[in-house]
This record gives sequence, structure tokens and C-alpha cells, in this order.
Amino acid sequence: MRDVYIIGTGIHPWMGFSEQVFADFAAVAVDGALKDANIEWQKIQAIMAGIFIYGGNAGHLSGQYLESIFGETGVPVVNVYNACATGSASIRMAYNSVAAGETDTALAFGADVSPKGFLTAKSDNAVQDRDVIRWKMGGMPNPIYWALECRKRMEKYDTTEEDLARVKVLMSEYGSKNPDARFKKAYTMEEVLNSVYVCDPLRLYEICPVSTGAAAVIVTADKELIAKADNPVKINATTMGSAIYGDPTIRISALSCPAVAEAPMLSESYSASRQAYEKAGVGPEDIDVLELPDNSSWHYLVYLETCGFCGEGEADKMLRDGETRIDGKLAVNPSGGFSSHGEALSAQALWQVIECASQLRGRCGERQVENPKVAMAQTYGLMGNSGTTILSV
Amino acid sequence: MENMANKVARIPNLVDWSTGEVRLMSAKCASCGTYFFPREHYQHRPGCSREGVENVLLPGKGKLASYTVQYYPCPAPFRTDKKITPYGIGLVEFEAEKIQITGIITETDLKSLKVGMEMETTVLDLYVNEEKQEVVTWAFKAVL
Repeated sequence: MRDVYIIGTGIHPWMGFSEQVFADFAAVAVDGALKDANIEWQKIQAIMAGIFIYGGNAGHLSGQYLESIFGETGVPVVNVYNACATGSASIRMAYNSVAAGETDTALAFGADVSPKGFLTAKSDNAVQDRDVIRWKMGGMPNPIYWALECRKRMEKYDTTEEDLARVKVLMSEYGSKNPDARFKKAYTMEEVLNSVYVCDPLRLYEICPVSTGAAAVIVTADKELIAKADNPVKINATTMGSAIYGDPTIRISALSCPAVAEAPMLSESYSASRQAYEKAGVGPEDIDVLELPDNSSWHYLVYLETCGFCGEGEADKMLRDGETRIDGKLAVNPSGGFSSHGEALSAQALWQVIECASQLRGRCGERQVENPKVAMAQTYGLMGNSGTTILSV
Repeated sequence: MENMANKVARIPNLVDWSTGEVRLMSAKCASCGTYFFPREHYQHRPGCSREGVENVLLPGKGKLASYTVQYYPCPAPFRTDKKITPYGIGLVEFEAEKIQITGIITETDLKSLKVGMEMETTVLDLYVNEEKQEVVTWAFKAVL
């Protein structure tokens, strides 16, 4: 396998529901990546596109739509969906194509337009799609799942409502310094603790909403392109994991879970991160910057444990002691995280990778981590989907 | 048990009251021992032959493993003509079967909910259909 580098990245800033044609704002991200890489569109030899599921043909064949904008060149275009880890799948495919020598330069991209209101069932077949049952009979929008796990955590460990609020305060401080974030207001503990419960113990400001956004990453093994790139970043590993039998986590859309744990919680992410550590030859102790999926404050805490940055039940202490701050031992979510962005499903994993790359390239201004060498982007997706990408300079 | 004669589940094959007790409709794999809910939500152990899956009814009682309170009305396709919000959602553990199952909690004193309390499977009336039947979902209530 060849060494593969990120040479260009582009983002369309995260926003709320948009009437814009997705391809227009997706093009902004791709234009940005081409310009950053200092290459022409014709250098792209494969397009790995994350799809968005509410977009009909435009969403399901997003790579073809993108190619028609920039000019059709006959290269392989693959459209992929892995729920919130869709972007992980696209960059993994781009990496594998280049590392294996199938292509020299590939584009990973994702753009997502979230519908107005809630993400609900996408079929009406209760036998095939248990999401239909949870919506028609379960009465359970997504945050319910996180609240059930958060309550379990609070019963087992000393996680407090203040800890949950502390996550939001920290994320909003960073989000306020990120021009690509959707939410730029810095919150106080009091404001977070006074926000309404959505599903207790989780409050309004402790849960991320759905958003719209686009992100693109160009990877290459072409020595000439690497040489002329501005601070290329090496991809040490980019992996995907699925769930493991006996994982006790209640997964979104499921109506049941094992009562006896035979696998780690969030086993899909445990699996993706351990694969990445092995492939990259690094461990959690080597990571300087971590972007984790803080869909809720509970996620922020549990992901530090799932990915091995501390033992079970120890994340609250890391947070309280300031170890996860930008100037702490492990800079967690300097981007402001999902809390400041919201979910744009097929684009978010790439935005996480881009934040990691930008930190390593020293481009992050007020939220810049001091001289990081290794960064890790970790995703989490519906029904057992996850990806991990480790980068270094 | 209240009169169940005129009730119908919104989606079939999830909850049963034909035995005189409300019970969830599960399936058990004879080969790997795993219980599924719903029945079609297969969760076999890797390497299992998947032979001998049988439909079973879960016990009527379990223990509350976790809960939350939903503070806003659940959007469509959820449907009810009753005022149920805020309502509890529980994760109820059936210990012998090693499975936890979610469901709406019918208890209205939401402050009384505690992890570990005994819960009984029941139904919750949602709305009346065109055939004048009460359409229901499965639910849990505290055993007092």
C-alpha cells in the first residue's frame, strides 16, 4: 500500500434548512478543495460520494450530479450511504483506491440537506423497517435513545447534570471561534442548565439539531501533487467498524437491546477506533487532537471511554479537570463539535476530518491547538456504523 | 385486566393479550439462545446455525433498567388523540431472557420513576379507528 496524503479540503459552512440546490453548495466545497490542492478538476480520478437520503435521485446519485457540474470525465463514481458515518465510508474508499494504486488522486465528498423538522421513518413497511414501529408505536424520536443511555450512565457513575452542561459550554466557546460552525453563541453554565428538558436528563442545548452542509477532501499519492501542496497531511489509517454481538447499547431505531453485555458499548466505534490504532501503529496516548461525535453531551463523555482515552466512568473527571480543553492533554472538538454544527449526515464525517487536517496544518486561528502532530476523527452512525481516521504531519 | 375486546394493536405481532395477560411477542433462537424483539429483528450470535427460531411470549413483568421523560409531542407518524405529553419512556429488562425492551410508560406521576422498579406490560390507548376500535400500542406501568 502506498502512502496517501490529504492535499486539499473544502467546506460549505453549516447552516439550517436550505432551499438551495444541493449541488450548488456542494460545488462550493469541491471548488474549495481543488483550490486548496492547487489542482484542476481533471486530475480527479475517482469520486467517492456520500449520498443524502431525502434528495431523491439528486441525493441518491449525488456523485453523478456533482460530476455533471464540474464536467464529466468518465472516472469511477461510487455513491455510498452509512448513515451518519457516510463520510467515513467515502474517505475510506478514496484512500483505499489511491493506496492500492487503482488511482493516484481521488475525491471524497458529502453534502446533505436535512428536511424541515424531524428525521422520521423512510418506509411504511413495519416488518422490514423497524423504524416504522418505533415511530408509530414507540413514540421515540432520536434523542430518547441517548437519554436512556445517559440515565444508565448517571446511575452507574457520578456523571451530573453539571457535567452535561459543561460539555455544551465548552463546545459553544469553540464554536463561537469557528467561521464554518452554524451556532456561534457562547453559552454560560446557567443558560444551559436553564434550557428546557427535551428528554431528561438531556436539555435542549445538550442535543445537536439537524443541519445542512457540504465537505470535500482530495487525497493523492502523486508525488508531484504532494510536493506542490500547502502542508499535506498523511492519512495513517481510515477505517470503518460495525457493531459486535452482545453490545448493550440501545441503538437508534431498535426497540430492544441485550441486557447482559458481551461486547463494549458503542461497539461499532470501539471496532473502528481499534482497527485504526492497529493500522496506524499509534494509541490514544499519541493523539493530540480528537474530533468526536458529540450528538449529545452524553456522547462526548462516552466516546472518550469507547475510544480508549480513559477508563469507563472516567470521562467526567477528564472534562472537569480541563484535560479535554484546547490547551489540555487532549484537545477535544476544537471545531465546536456537533453541538455547534448540527448533523449534516453525509458531510459531517468529512468536516471532522477537515478540522483535524486544518489543525495539523496550523490553520485554525483562535481555536488552534498548539503544534499538534497526530489527530483523530471519530464518527457514529445509526444502526451500528462508525469510522475512524487518523492523520499526522 | 380491563376489557380488551375492542382493542387492536396499531401494528400486529408485537403485543398479545389472548392469554388474559398483556405480553410482548418475542422470538427465541434455539441455537444461540438469543431473544428478539420484534420477532423479525434477528440478532443471532456469530456462527449460530439460526435453526429452531420459535415465537414466544415474554413474561408480563420486568424491571426498569432506564427511563426518560419526553417533554414534547412525538411527531407523526406517531398518532394519538389523547393528551399524553409529557410521557415516560422506559427500557424494561426481562432478566431470564436477557433482553431490554423500550416502551411508553403509562404512569403519570413521572417523579416516582426509579431505575430498578418492577414494571408490568400493558397497552396504551392511542386513538379510535374507523371501525370504532381503540388502536393501542404496548406500554409499561409500574407495579405498585
